[in-house]
Amino acid sequence: MNTPSSSHDIHNRPLRFITCGSVDDGKSTLIGRLLYDSKALMVDQLDALGRARGAQSRNGQVDLSLVTDGLEAEREQGITIDVAYRYFATPKRKFIIADAPGHEQYTRNMVTGASKSDVAVVLIDVTKLDFTQERVALLPQTKRHTALAGLLRLQHIVVAVNKMDAIGFDATKFERVVRAFGELTASLEIVSFTAIPLSALEGDGVVAHTERTAWFQGPALLPHLESLALVEGHAGSHAHIAVQWVTRDNNDDHVRWVTGDVAEAAIAVGDEIRVFPSGASAVVAAIRTGRGTVQQALPGEAVAVRFDRQVDVARGDWIVAGSAAETSAPRQRAQATLAWLDTAPLTVGRRYVVRHGSRWLPARVTAISSRLDLQAGEWRDVGTTDAEDDWAAEPALAPTVNANDLVRAEVEFAQPLPLAAFAESTTLGSFVLVDPGTNATAAAGMIAA
Amino acid sequence: MTARDAFLNSAAEIDHGLAAGRPVHSNAHLDWLEDEAISILREVFGSFERPAILCSCGKDSLVVLHLAMKAAAPGKLPVPIVHIDTGHNFPEVIAFREHLVQKHGFNLIVGHLDDSIAKGTIRLAHPLESRNPYQTITLLETIEANRFDAMVGGARRDEEKARAKERVFSHRDSFGQWQPRAQRPELWNLYNTRIAQGEHFRVFPISNWTELDVWNYIARENIELPSIYYTHQREVIERNGLLVPVTDITPPRTGETVVTRDVRFRTVGDISCTCPVASTAATADEVILETITATASERGATRMDDRANDAAMERRKKEGYF
Repeated sequence: MNTPSSSHDIHNRPLRFITCGSVDDGKSTLIGRLLYDSKALMVDQLDALGRARGAQSRNGQVDLSLVTDGLEAEREQGITIDVAYRYFATPKRKFIIADAPGHEQYTRNMVTGASKSDVAVVLIDVTKLDFTQERVALLPQTKRHTALAGLLRLQHIVVAVNKMDAIGFDATKFERVVRAFGELTASLEIVSFTAIPLSALEGDGVVAHTERTAWFQGPALLPHLESLALVEGHAGSHAHIAVQWVTRDNNDDHVRWVTGDVAEAAIAVGDEIRVFPSGASAVVAAIRTGRGTVQQALPGEAVAVRFDRQVDVARGDWIVAGSAAETSAPRQRAQATLAWLDTAPLTVGRRYVVRHGSRWLPARVTAISSRLDLQAGEWRDVGTTDAEDDWAAEPALAPTVNANDLVRAEVEFAQPLPLAAFAESTTLGSFVLVDPGTNATAAAGMIAA
Repeated sequence: MTARDAFLNSAAEIDHGLAAGRPVHSNAHLDWLEDEAISILREVFGSFERPAILCSCGKDSLVVLHLAMKAAAPGKLPVPIVHIDTGHNFPEVIAFREHLVQKHGFNLIVGHLDDSIAKGTIRLAHPLESRNPYQTITLLETIEANRFDAMVGGARRDEEKARAKERVFSHRDSFGQWQPRAQRPELWNLYNTRIAQGEHFRVFPISNWTELDVWNYIARENIELPSIYYTHQREVIERNGLLVPVTDITPPRTGETVVTRDVRFRTVGDISCTCPVASTAATADEVILETITATASERGATRMDDRANDAAMERRKKEGYF
């Protein structure tokens, strides 16, 4: 179906990618090179680098890694504290980089950056690998980064095999790294990835391949990122809108327009909808986007929708297209993966508040079943002591869940919600857990089943 | 082909595009940026009791205002707009503010720096001192007096490196302070907007826009700007590589020569610290061509205050600056 907003094509969206790795892996140098080579760095920013404390030039050139050190506190300590966002554009595409620091609070920062990314660029520093053994063992941090990228369901994984200059651009060693990475992704149920040999420091393989990487058949990093296809919504689903706010028409008898972002599938004038939780039904009479009045809006578009009749709708409700029989029933309990982010540990049984869509409601974690061992890339059962026959034993203590831990847990919501597995729907399958005392964002939640 | 050659090729492609007078970057992504911003603004309208939009009448805040009107359409803008008036304004900007209020019927709230000076909450070291750093005090007083719980602003992450790390919904404690080490993780579009009494949020709907995106959007949407954003003749002094405008507040120093130049402003701030750049760009499209070929970042070319210290913005933000 043709729509007036034809430029709202998924391929026009800025490509958002997260860079996974530490400064030692050449991550900052790689970002610096992308910004520098795409002309996103301006004279005064390079000048500020020269003025920055601790700045050192390499062979009289600007140290590109300093481009990404944001805060004064970070420079002093030689660490990065928080996710920083960088922008550059090529004639083909606009890019948004979420630059997550490699060391401190890693899971917290990577989950934050990855939740808004389409692609993970995992950096591997070849100089840190041992090529004397038959099998190349990847570093624990590479396993961590890859496990998280898989867990957060990023659409593409790109492996930047960096510092190839330090190993003489050895094609065989590159192939061995790729094989090791292939074994890792298989164990994490990640279906595909693209590996690219490069030298961020010297530029080979970033914008284009050079004579030194001529043996490599695939694309260079930037052309690869330019060409990646994105998907939004998923086949077979119905349009969902988490109601953000209701506005009243300034002219037309103050008729109500419901606003929110379209998710899952397109919504069109004439579609039958239901309101969750009231169950009221109506037909879409008109749709507006930033571009004007449209017949149909696609997933990702911010819309205002008017119905053919008066319906009681408020922030926190869902607008769901299709009949009740076509969508799965709301549920009050679910298995979920929690990425714990708060410095205060999780208290099982405590009342937290949850945000799902635009709805806030109380919820609690009732049990923890397993924990992700990021070093091994495997889930391990926890919390079940073998005490059933021992009537005198203390009740099993719930395992401690601290910041940066990833656990599989049973969550109970105060009301039934239209949930879906995160693997099926990032919109219906995600929630945040907030500490009602401090208002700190305590956990990112992903519905498992 | 070496990497450098490849880069030069892509640069040549851009130059070729410029010579041919066609846009060298696709603007198709503007719809996405527009949708993201509209969605953030509706979060503000729906989540807070007393939100407001900060409007300096600079181009970024005018883009935010335009987006806010779209977010509310077909209804009226449901929130007031707030201007922090340093008393050292370019007259064109104040005239523009009045024009805007008249045209759209906005509820305008002005926080006057002079009121803070009269109350004694701001004490200037000398009368002609730059008033820019003191805006923070008047801003926080205005927030407190009106019990605002969310202030929408036009800051962008590409402006400056402390901003590059700031959240879209940026939490401020009851002293208005930003705490970079204790920012709330921001996950998917599930913003955590919960606050305690006396705290507030700063919200930045165009965080992910670059200067070029803003100009492309202004051109596409025909957004009106104060006239000083386009080329005009102005008396200036060349000082430390900047063109300093000659005004009552920034008179020439002994031995300096006043020259008249074709200039435009890239940002609009307090007179005492905002400099124009040499330009003959008379329309948004001409500004875009200049921006594509610019070699200095927006704040670097025009702000005396940011140059002082590499961490200047970070320190000011911690105190409550926008």
